[in-house]
Amino acid sequence: MLQIRNLHVSIDGQKILRGIDLDVQPGTVHAVMGPNGSGKSTLASVLAGRDGYEIEEGSVTYNGQDLLDMDPEIRAREGVFLAFQYPVEVPGVTTMYFMREAVNAVRKHRGEEELSAGEFLKLARQKIGPLGMDADMLKRAINEGFSGGEKKRSEIFQMAMLEPKLAVLDETDSGLDIDALKIVADGVNSLRSADRSFVVITHYQRLLNYIVPDYVHVLSDGKIELSGDKTLALELESRGYGWINDDVVPQAVAGV
Amino acid sequence: MPAIADRADIYLERFNDALARSADEPTWLLERRKRAMERFLQLGVPSLKHEEYKYTDLSGLADGQLLFATRPAGAEAALPSYAAGSASDRATAAGPQVLGRVPQGARVQSLAGALRAEPDLVQRHLAAIADYEDHALCAVNTAFFADAVVIQAERGAVLEEPIQLVFGDGPRDSLPRVLIVAGRNSSVQVVETYAGSGAYWRNAVTEIYAEENARVDHYRAQVESLDAYHTGRLQASQQRDSFVSSFSISFGAAVARNDIGTRLNGSGCECSLDGLYAVRGDQLVDHHTSIDHAMPHCNSHQLYKGVLDDRAKGVFNGKIFVRTDAQKTDAVQSNKNLLLSDQSEVNTKPQLEIDANDVRCTHGATIGQLDSEAAFYLQSRGIGADRARNLLTYAFAADALERIRVAWLKEHFESLLLDRFASQEP
Ligand SMILES: Nc1ncnc2c1ncn2[C@@H]1O[C@H](COP(=O)(O)OP(=O)(O)OP(=O)(O)O)[C@@H](O)[C@H]1O
Ligand SMILES: [Mg+2]
Repeated sequence: MLQIRNLHVSIDGQKILRGIDLDVQPGTVHAVMGPNGSGKSTLASVLAGRDGYEIEEGSVTYNGQDLLDMDPEIRAREGVFLAFQYPVEVPGVTTMYFMREAVNAVRKHRGEEELSAGEFLKLARQKIGPLGMDADMLKRAINEGFSGGEKKRSEIFQMAMLEPKLAVLDETDSGLDIDALKIVADGVNSLRSADRSFVVITHYQRLLNYIVPDYVHVLSDGKIELSGDKTLALELESRGYGWINDDVVPQAVAGV
Repeated sequence: MPAIADRADIYLERFNDALARSADEPTWLLERRKRAMERFLQLGVPSLKHEEYKYTDLSGLADGQLLFATRPAGAEAALPSYAAGSASDRATAAGPQVLGRVPQGARVQSLAGALRAEPDLVQRHLAAIADYEDHALCAVNTAFFADAVVIQAERGAVLEEPIQLVFGDGPRDSLPRVLIVAGRNSSVQVVETYAGSGAYWRNAVTEIYAEENARVDHYRAQVESLDAYHTGRLQASQQRDSFVSSFSISFGAAVARNDIGTRLNGSGCECSLDGLYAVRGDQLVDHHTSIDHAMPHCNSHQLYKGVLDDRAKGVFNGKIFVRTDAQKTDAVQSNKNLLLSDQSEVNTKPQLEIDANDVRCTHGATIGQLDSEAAFYLQSRGIGADRARNLLTYAFAADALERIRVAWLKEHFESLLLDRFASQEP
């Protein structure tokens, strides 16, 4: 589904990513962990197509296409979804209007019928209920005045509406209490399927008790220094990141 | 001044006609008209050298041709749908500018009618609130206006429905003159709409007198022809505990200049002066506001938002005077502009003169492009780049309309904005 090869990225001439390799197969969950500033969000942003990054080297292939060559909206329509670490507030545009437009853009791209207002509302109610949010949220401006937890749940709601193929969740668990965390994890788990993949960026092993990953990668100083299975997350939790660059650890399987 | 004297022939010539036509008017009014003419001849049409007009080129008005030219017969203004219908459909007793029914508790009269029925009231307020001594454009209106609409809200009357005035291409629509007198504890809403076709100069003046504890909500919807000049003056005089709001919608005209001011003459007054301008091509829109806090414990709010595209220009100047006695004044001013093109520009300037010490005055101005983070967020969900920009532009502008309390007016301009900025791409 996704192949990242030797990806080097800089911002304003400053190198942030220094040769990332990652393979994501359909139906798998990859956790990406790593210290602050190691480049996790940069990687996520590059996948989603945010402006301002210089791709110095390498390639990203998504379902056989050059992902880096696509506009952000095309990536989204092709099934790439980014849950933002810091969701953006958009005053004056309601979540309802926004999502209906987004869902229909994606449906149109897939050659499906657009949803009427009624059909959309029905679907939205269906998806929002399990997230413990009131449907009134749809009438509010996007993320405006939302609490941190509401913003994160709104990201999951959007994901559920858009049914992506590849979802990148950037610290969707940060700042959530355990109940909210479970809600978010349930939201993700209910979308898990044989043809849908997740890249879950997190600082906390805790999340991975609820969203059990197939692979865990450690991103440090712009490189994937170490990959393993879910036990690696437990080890990181107890030992921290300090040991990673010191030990010579053979690079474990980075995806299969 | 000499330059004007050379070119003032048409003004002088027409003034003699106007005086002849006004022969039946009371002496006090004729005196005010003559004085206004005298001042206009001294001041002339303001040039770019005038500090208050330095970005707004009105030289096309100096010879008066655009004001007095006969309008092409049969030209029918492109009126907004809510004001559609011909002049003959309109209530005639108060003149062809009054649209629809006059609500209970209000009186709407022509100048002649008001002079007959309420001579003292008219004398007290007409051409007594909007200064023409130092305001050439107001002087022109005062010297020449042929008729006026005089609106009175009776003491204690709460008028649920707005009174609608429409100024189109009619022969007397070039110099609109409106006087609104809101009696004690009354509440009145007035919607003025300006629309026309072709090239012309419309020079409007509205005066508001709000008595104790009265409320006046004033709306001006300016959708003039793109070849027109629109100059408009709104001046209010507020007595104790009164509330005046003004909302200025400015979409039309090649050059539009709005002077909007109020004087807070008693304590406990509040005013809200707001506006939305959306211009493109080579349009210029200029708002000059002036709030005179003369007495303590008064609040004023101002929010003007603008969207400018192509080579359009915006000007905002917001004056707030806080006089020595005006302690506990709370004045908030904000002007926010969205530039959609590289060549559009805005000159914005707050001008605060504060002579009291226990006051809170804040002002802020922004001139910016669309929030690229927000645009990316929308795009990342599958919404096309252009569409994302349009949606954000719509949201920015529509936010200002929230301050309009007349639902149909708000909806009309929301859908106009939708058409302009957010209509679905095919
Ligand atoms: N727009 C930017 N301009 C300049 N430097 C940036 C920019 N964005 C990120 N950086 C730098 O790039 C590096 C990686 O940032 P990134 O946000 O990808 O880290 P992260 O791993 O997501 O960190 P965190 O765990 O704190 O979210 C940091 O040193 C950061 O300061
Ligand atoms: Mg990050």
